[in-house]
Amino acid sequence: MLASAVEQYVEFGVGGENYAIRIADVHEIIKLQDITDIPNCHYYVRGVINLRGKIVPVISLRSLFALEESEPTKASRIVVVAHANDAVGLIVDHVNQVTLFSDIQPPPERVGGISGSYFVGIGITSNGLVGILKLDEVLIQS
Amino acid sequence: MLDLSEFRDIFLEELSEQLQTIEEELLALEREGGTDAGIQRLFRAAHTLKGSSAAMGYAKLKDLTHEMEHVLEKLRNRELQISQQLASLFFEALDGLRQLQSEIVHHHTEQSDMADTIQGLRGYTASTSPPPLQAPPLLPYEIYQKFLAAQDKKRQLVWLTLQLSEHCEMRYARFQIIERKLDELLELIWREEDGTGPTDEASEASRSARWLVSTSLTAEELNELASALMDVEQVDLELAQMERLQTQPEVIVAEEETILPELVVQAGRGVRQDTAKAASIRVNVDRLEQLMNLVGELVIDQTRIQQAGKILRQRFGPDEAFDEFSQLSDHLTRTVGELQESVMKVRMLPIEQLFNRFPRLVRDLSIALGKEVELILEGKDTELDRNLIEEIGDPLIHLVRNAVDHGLESPEDRRAAGKPVKGSLRITAAHEDDQVSLLIEDDGAGIDTDKLRQAAVNRGVMSAAEAAQLSEHDAVQLIFHPGLSTAAKLSDVSGRGVGMDIVRNDIERMNGLIDIDTERGRGTQFKIRLPLTLAITTGLVITIAGRTFILPMSNVAEIVRVEEAAVRTVNGIPVLTLRNQVIPVVHIHRYFGYPEPADSGRYRPLVIIGRAEKRVALAVDELIGNHEIVVRSLGPYIGKVEGISGATILGDGKVALILETGGIIKMITR
Repeated sequence: MLASAVEQYVEFGVGGENYAIRIADVHEIIKLQDITDIPNCHYYVRGVINLRGKIVPVISLRSLFALEESEPTKASRIVVVAHANDAVGLIVDHVNQVTLFSDIQPPPERVGGISGSYFVGIGITSNGLVGILKLDEVLIQS
Repeated sequence: MLDLSEFRDIFLEELSEQLQTIEEELLALEREGGTDAGIQRLFRAAHTLKGSSAAMGYAKLKDLTHEMEHVLEKLRNRELQISQQLASLFFEALDGLRQLQSEIVHHHTEQSDMADTIQGLRGYTASTSPPPLQAPPLLPYEIYQKFLAAQDKKRQLVWLTLQLSEHCEMRYARFQIIERKLDELLELIWREEDGTGPTDEASEASRSARWLVSTSLTAEELNELASALMDVEQVDLELAQMERLQTQPEVIVAEEETILPELVVQAGRGVRQDTAKAASIRVNVDRLEQLMNLVGELVIDQTRIQQAGKILRQRFGPDEAFDEFSQLSDHLTRTVGELQESVMKVRMLPIEQLFNRFPRLVRDLSIALGKEVELILEGKDTELDRNLIEEIGDPLIHLVRNAVDHGLESPEDRRAAGKPVKGSLRITAAHEDDQVSLLIEDDGAGIDTDKLRQAAVNRGVMSAAEAAQLSEHDAVQLIFHPGLSTAAKLSDVSGRGVGMDIVRNDIERMNGLIDIDTERGRGTQFKIRLPLTLAITTGLVITIAGRTFILPMSNVAEIVRVEEAAVRTVNGIPVLTLRNQVIPVVHIHRYFGYPEPADSGRYRPLVIIGRAEKRVALAVDELIGNHEIVVRSLGPYIGKVEGISGATILGDGKVALILETGGIIKMITR
């Protein structure tokens, strides 16, 4: 399914590349906070946070995309997305903007070393290409 | 078309209530032969369901309940009699209704075809009435009147049993003569017609007969009178108890078509029940959950307010405004505490919900296994958290199956062992302190520990020498070992030896404990202890490798502080000797991938966790203290994590993981 061209997206950066998620899927964007790590869990799961009384798992997109982990900076954010009635936080390097894509291309087999199956498509903007994430695939429990 | 979906939930609730009524009444019907009141209740349930399913457009439900209603009406009008066969047909119909119920719940439509069941019921009414099902002997109505009249006249009612001498021939005739004689001398009310009486030609061999007589004579006079009769060898007198007979008037009244008062009483009772119901309302479970979550958040916020208050006071010193603040905070603590308790109580349900499933289960099992079982349920009113009731259901059902299948012996074996042919299975629920205890007791053969030892050796769990060395107590515990089952042959009923370890795991996951007590030839008792609720518990807050964890207090046996030197190494495993018990010391760091703590040479706290025969000492860095915690799940995304049962939010707003004792013990024994 190709995303509609008039939909709004939240664009963010992870490891020098830009990615986007449909704004309808984004619950909220919060600053990095204390994360309680969970032993013997998936390598990309950083742990859980207390989001106003709710326990929300947080995963690192850098780990998931097999990028080198970096120290969190002031710009680091957790993008909390809705997933199957639950909330899941994604750690990103920085959040850029809310954007529209005039043109969305189907994803190639690989996007900068990352499997194309993670993407709905590639959004074209004046600043370059943005990988639009397919949440169902990103949040699949392997 | 009218949208009925909003009525669906209401209909489904009513359906499950009525089905429960039907089941209870059917069990009573089969057990006791049925009373008019019972049949009336069945009829009313079927009738109500017929009406509401027709209104909701569930045609199959309507057809089936219609057929049941039809048969019940014939029963009520005495055109039909209860029989085992009819009871089975009704149970079949009940199963059909339940099947349709589950289809409506899950698929929103009726799917199964009920034509066979309906045909079965219809066929039964068409066939001739079979003999009654062990109907209890009843006093005919006029005799009952005499009975009451005699009581009014303050005359004694006596059961008179006469035994003829061995040499007496033609006993039937002799009894006839005696009876005529007695009738002249006393007021005969009734003679027992259970086959031993004189009315039956076939009872020629019977030497004794029993009469109910009304008399003003004393026992001595009566004895003298009866002994003087020809051929009477022995006279037994027993004062008749009104209570013994009082079970029957219901039916007698009905026979005389004076059914009206009975029905009026019924109706009166029904009305009273309805008004009692009006004082309570139905609440959707999700709303309760939501309420509980909100209270949980309040608890957390309130602890945070308290902490913030402390910090402010430390920073800015004493001040009137702070005093006011801390007073408010204290009051809030109390109010939130009470609120929490009230919400907890709302979530509590009587265990009756679960117990109600057992009579049918035991009935079906005993029929399938050819055993006679008397099921005794006690403590139906015991309340516990509805989540717990749901969770404990499967383990309890498993234990009940086991008790009937493996615990209780066959009637022949029981007779040979000199026991009552009917085995007893008793399930008791009760509150004990802050816990709920459940007892499942049978008076069966007990657990054969020799067989268990043998099975353990055969399956390679241990060597023959090890098995022989086990104490009786430890050998019994083998039943919880995965893959061991004592049943000589496998049956459909209690499965293939995958049971007891799962039962124990389930119970431990609820922070509960299960114990066995068994005696060969005398029976087995399982004792389960559960916390009142799963949602809120007292936890011991500890730190390990700079992380905060919670240990449920119910799992903590003891806390000790020992010098590091006191921990020795045996076969490469660090152990601690505590009161002659050798307990392995666990550094969870290794299993959780945390850096090993430096040997500080100082005293080190160890928390002893686990059950009696499998204790471990958990090495912790620091003990923080006890806290009431609200247990949260880690959610479906994280799923199950070994050694972690959930999480909670601490006073400082951080998330702490709750350690699961069973999982930890499993991890380290691998």
